[in-house]
Amino acid sequence: MFDVPWAGDLAERLGAEVESMQLLAGGASKEAWAVDAGGERLLVRRAAGGVIHEATLPLEQEFEVLRAAEEAGVRVPHPVAYLGELGGREAFAMQRVEGETIGRRIVRDPPAGLDLQLAEELAKIHAIPPERLPFLTGGEILARFEAELDSVGEAHPAIEYGLAWLRERAPEPLPSVVLHGDFRLGNVVVSERGLEYLLDWEFAHLGDPTEDVAWPIVRAWRFGRDDLRLGGIGEVEPYLERYAELAGREIAVEDLLWWEVLGNLKWAIGSLTQSRRHLNGLERSVELAVLGRLAAEKEYELLDLIARHG
Amino acid sequence: MADRPDAGELLEAVLEFLATEVLPDATDQRQKFRTLVAMNALGIARRELDSDEETLSAEELRELAARIRAGDVPEDALPILKEHVAAKLRVANPDYLQLYE
Repeated sequence: MFDVPWAGDLAERLGAEVESMQLLAGGASKEAWAVDAGGERLLVRRAAGGVIHEATLPLEQEFEVLRAAEEAGVRVPHPVAYLGELGGREAFAMQRVEGETIGRRIVRDPPAGLDLQLAEELAKIHAIPPERLPFLTGGEILARFEAELDSVGEAHPAIEYGLAWLRERAPEPLPSVVLHGDFRLGNVVVSERGLEYLLDWEFAHLGDPTEDVAWPIVRAWRFGRDDLRLGGIGEVEPYLERYAELAGREIAVEDLLWWEVLGNLKWAIGSLTQSRRHLNGLERSVELAVLGRLAAEKEYELLDLIARHG
Repeated sequence: MADRPDAGELLEAVLEFLATEVLPDATDQRQKFRTLVAMNALGIARRELDSDEETLSAEELRELAARIRAGDVPEDALPILKEHVAAKLRVANPDYLQLYE
């Protein structure tokens, strides 16, 4: 059946007949399967053979985060079942949703109210009790970046400069909350009605809520619409106001600069480490390879932010 | 000295092949995207071959990085680093730099 050796196991675990299954995307670490079973449209996320990205959650924990988010009223695809191992690799099933996720298309004509909806979802995420997800970890963010940069094994004085600037001005951290960890256009499903679902919970961790709040402001996530600081879709003030109303936590526009520089630094280091996945053979891919050269975009942006505002 | 086509001309030939024969036939979005990424990669390699940018040497980069890490940030580090990164971008993505003009 379907030429996939674990199709029978899948049907058994779901308790439903599998009507169709198709591999949508396969990387070295994760696969996504469109599965129709028992009349339901499902998406099965399954580990792949390669080495898992060290910063990401195992699928069992990602499934638990999805459940906690749903309990907290966050708009997420319904988590259907953790499936255990299918063909020797863990997997879970969730509702398969439709809508636009491509940032470049969303910024062209964003639905009205998307800016406030982002704030609303974020406030709900940040209200998830951390004890509900005891496996999530936090830790000192700049020390973590420094270690990741060292793992690249290439000198990047621009990134070092950013780290030094951040260290000198580190704000008093807000109390730690559950963070989505990659909250930005690209991980948001949008329709003409507005925000439908938040995807990609594998980077969830604990930390200062401003980290999530400021991440969609980073230039790369404005998808070319640089006149609109919030993700290329809106101004930051109404977003921050709505967040403060719901979360009971004021984040001032001036607080964002430090985190915006940090966001660019994070994405610069992320680009370098992704390209190393290609270079060291963990995941051969031209997309990953080229990121090593595009890290310079984020380096330039962080230096420019510091030169203009720092 | 190699016979022609030289490295740059070979890159150009592959770039043209991708642009005229692979890209128009790309059936799904993902395949199209990856083809564009591959063309971008070849473009970087092509510009690197042609470039006479004076970038900081590996040794200079290591020294500067170590110095900043140790907390001894040179007075003029910011303009030097901006120019260094701009030089990298003139090869990696010259269009991106124009966003700052």
